[in-house]
Amino acid sequence: MSVASHGFDRATVPLPGEIRQFDFPQVRSFDLDTGLSVRVARMPGLPVVSASLILEAGETGVPADRAGLAVLTGDALQAGTARRSGAELAEALERVGVGLAAATGWDATTVSLGCLSERLVDAVELMAEVVGEASFEKEEFTRIRQQRLATIQQRLMDPRRLADDAAAHFIFADGVAYSRSAGGTRASIGGVEREQAAEYAASHYRPAGAGLVVAGDVDPDAVARLAGPLLAHRGGEGVARPALVVEPRSRERAVHLLHRPGAVQSEIRIGHVGVARSSDDFFALSVLNTVLGGAFTSRLNLNLRERNGFTYGVRSSFGFRRHPGPFRVATAVATEVTADAVREAMSELDGIVRDGPTDAEVQAARDYIVGVFPLRLETTGQVASRIADLIVHRFPDDYYATYRDRVAAVTTADATDAGRRAIRPEEMAVVVVGDADALRRPLEALELGPVQVHDPEVLLG
Amino acid sequence: MLSIPAHRHTLDNGLRVVLSRDSAAPVVAVNLWYGVGSRNERTGRTGFAHLFEHMMFQGSAHVPKNQHFELIERAGGSLNGSTWFDRTNYFETVPAHHLELALWLEADRMGWLLPAMTQEKLDNQRDVVKNEKKWRYDNQPYGDWDERLQALVFPEGHPYHHSVIGSMEDLDAADLDDVAQFFRTYYVPNNAVLTVCGDFEEDHALTLIDRLFGEIPAGDPLPPILGDWDIPLRIGTTVRERVEAKVPLPRVYMAGRVPPYTSDAFYPAYVASALLGTGRASRLYSSLVREKKIAKDIVTYTFPLVTGTSIFLLWATGYPGTEPAALEQALVTELQAVDGVRQEEVDRAIALIETSFVKDIEQVGERADLLSMYETFFGEPERINTEIERLREVTLDDLRDFAGHHLGEDNRAILTYVPGGGQ
Repeated sequence: MSVASHGFDRATVPLPGEIRQFDFPQVRSFDLDTGLSVRVARMPGLPVVSASLILEAGETGVPADRAGLAVLTGDALQAGTARRSGAELAEALERVGVGLAAATGWDATTVSLGCLSERLVDAVELMAEVVGEASFEKEEFTRIRQQRLATIQQRLMDPRRLADDAAAHFIFADGVAYSRSAGGTRASIGGVEREQAAEYAASHYRPAGAGLVVAGDVDPDAVARLAGPLLAHRGGEGVARPALVVEPRSRERAVHLLHRPGAVQSEIRIGHVGVARSSDDFFALSVLNTVLGGAFTSRLNLNLRERNGFTYGVRSSFGFRRHPGPFRVATAVATEVTADAVREAMSELDGIVRDGPTDAEVQAARDYIVGVFPLRLETTGQVASRIADLIVHRFPDDYYATYRDRVAAVTTADATDAGRRAIRPEEMAVVVVGDADALRRPLEALELGPVQVHDPEVLLG
Repeated sequence: MLSIPAHRHTLDNGLRVVLSRDSAAPVVAVNLWYGVGSRNERTGRTGFAHLFEHMMFQGSAHVPKNQHFELIERAGGSLNGSTWFDRTNYFETVPAHHLELALWLEADRMGWLLPAMTQEKLDNQRDVVKNEKKWRYDNQPYGDWDERLQALVFPEGHPYHHSVIGSMEDLDAADLDDVAQFFRTYYVPNNAVLTVCGDFEEDHALTLIDRLFGEIPAGDPLPPILGDWDIPLRIGTTVRERVEAKVPLPRVYMAGRVPPYTSDAFYPAYVASALLGTGRASRLYSSLVREKKIAKDIVTYTFPLVTGTSIFLLWATGYPGTEPAALEQALVTELQAVDGVRQEEVDRAIALIETSFVKDIEQVGERADLLSMYETFFGEPERINTEIERLREVTLDDLRDFAGHHLGEDNRAILTYVPGGGQ
């Protein structure tokens, strides 16, 4: 029954129709006297708006003995302002339907809000009050610190987070900020007082070097006017961008087994130091990683999931940060097939480095990345987040105009060469969180390197 | 305030079609809801609806294994499916010029799935699903909460008594005959809603849909839902379960039955859930997290279920030293206080719901999914434009009534996790 009666052949894959033009939304830029950069993308359509304030307050610049201070300070913005208690602040935001949250990463603290367009004036005024006049009121600050400490404790018993933290630990040398969990440890956070958070905010939440990105159904000039008072009282110099020398913990491959007695599943992370977002290899590596493990039909997933049924899913990724973040393969598999899964993953890594991707794979990966570009720019939040990346990485305003052309220009040789520079299977840290009693011998039998067993609490607690 | 278009059509074979055009971006979503979920599983085959969903991605007569994913990814699209109590959905978002590809793939598996089924594919996906269960349930702190809570809230034999992931023993017992039977019974055009949302021309889309789906024969009328689903809208008592497990912090879950989504009486439940648990000015956050400081987080949900009843649930996670009994008492105090709620609290909750609703439908994929839902449950996709108004119509009296009928101790399942023990 492959040929249907309607005069078309059901067995033939339909051809695409006429391609429809897509352009990144127009962005208006304003550089304010305060030093704040403002970027506004007008997106008519639904009456919503997303706004993000990007502050030069990433966890990378925080000293190790205060690890987590930037994250905690961001959390503690909800403790209230000079004018409102924490409870009154929540009430003021939510009464007008504004969701406001701070997210602190390695490169920046981003305070974001989403609301209906008609509420934007109220929302930006509240945002200015939150970041400029945060009170870090004692009782509220102490509560928020307790919440953060409890979250750290939860991470220690969550195998996925444990695997993430252990991978960072074994990939990066001690002293490199990326080797820690961004939220810090009980030791580094437990003693932080409100004064330290207030001081951190005063010195890092400054207009110079910061950016306000607004996307949605808004008037750009009105946004520029609204942004004038943002952090204006904190004039002067911006914050210097932290330097970071990224070194690996080791260049010798080793297997690190974090013991969880009785675990029915193993969380696996395999990786080493990757590359920075600013790398010339960014586009070639994006293509290469799509072939290897960035999509459903990538080599890793077709092998470990669709061929072998070892896992619900497996992905590889480059953590593209200002400085070289991790390259990682991540998956979770049943205890009894853990060693098989590690072997298959290593074999895919070896294979893509040795032989490179095929022309057909590179073509498919380029088509995917180019095609999916507009799909990921549907919402005001997605557009704001893309523009925020330009501020974080100091890319030019027209960066996205040529993005798809640069992907399309990646050749098989480019992807192969970039892969050989960036992926080194013989230097990988292989991290497994699972039942060491069952896993140790099978993992040793793979002969990937020494197998070391660790107590999660001792290693990361 | 919203004016999202929604045009309905029905093919001769019973397939219901919803078209919603919006050319803001050159993308289009194709979304299919089948009126089948874990509620339709027979005894001894729990988890099968979800396993079947996996089989729908294993190719069909004209689509080899992995081609479905490959073709969509190559086109620059995203895709997935999900199984829930009352329905199973499948969806693609693709660049607009690939609309026909997405429709063709969906039509092929609706009409011609069975010729492509093999034992090897079934065994492979059974393994994948078992790993999914380990990942989501067995190897995660509190991972089995929904399994336990469902069993407390809904009696044995009720279609919501068991979880969507189901029993692994039941999955082991499933064979290709089950796949064929399930397909012929439930994956029929007269049990499906197809929504297209985004940048397309309606006449062109209808022509394509008619050509691709029109010749798929209608199935038999759907069999009645199995099990005893017509139950009282209250549990009738307080039921409890205490679990000692490898969890980092104590946590108390509470749940009860509420009217189904298809009843107007559902909306007060939805509003009550939001004023209790949405946002940092909500009652539970204000009381348990900010003032009493006995919870590090709180969460509330009302599920939009339609088979006779639905479920209202909440949880609070304590700190290391928190007494679960104190958490429970604090939750009960707040449930009892709902009858004293003020209008401004209702307004606050609805303002937050409104923002997140409008932000959700910024994506054509989300919008298509909601349109499919409103068509499946209400035959009324344009309800997407009035849903927020329905919430605004909930009065303080409605909330007091709801609290009196559904938040009392005669409608309470309490599931407590305490740190300790083995798995």
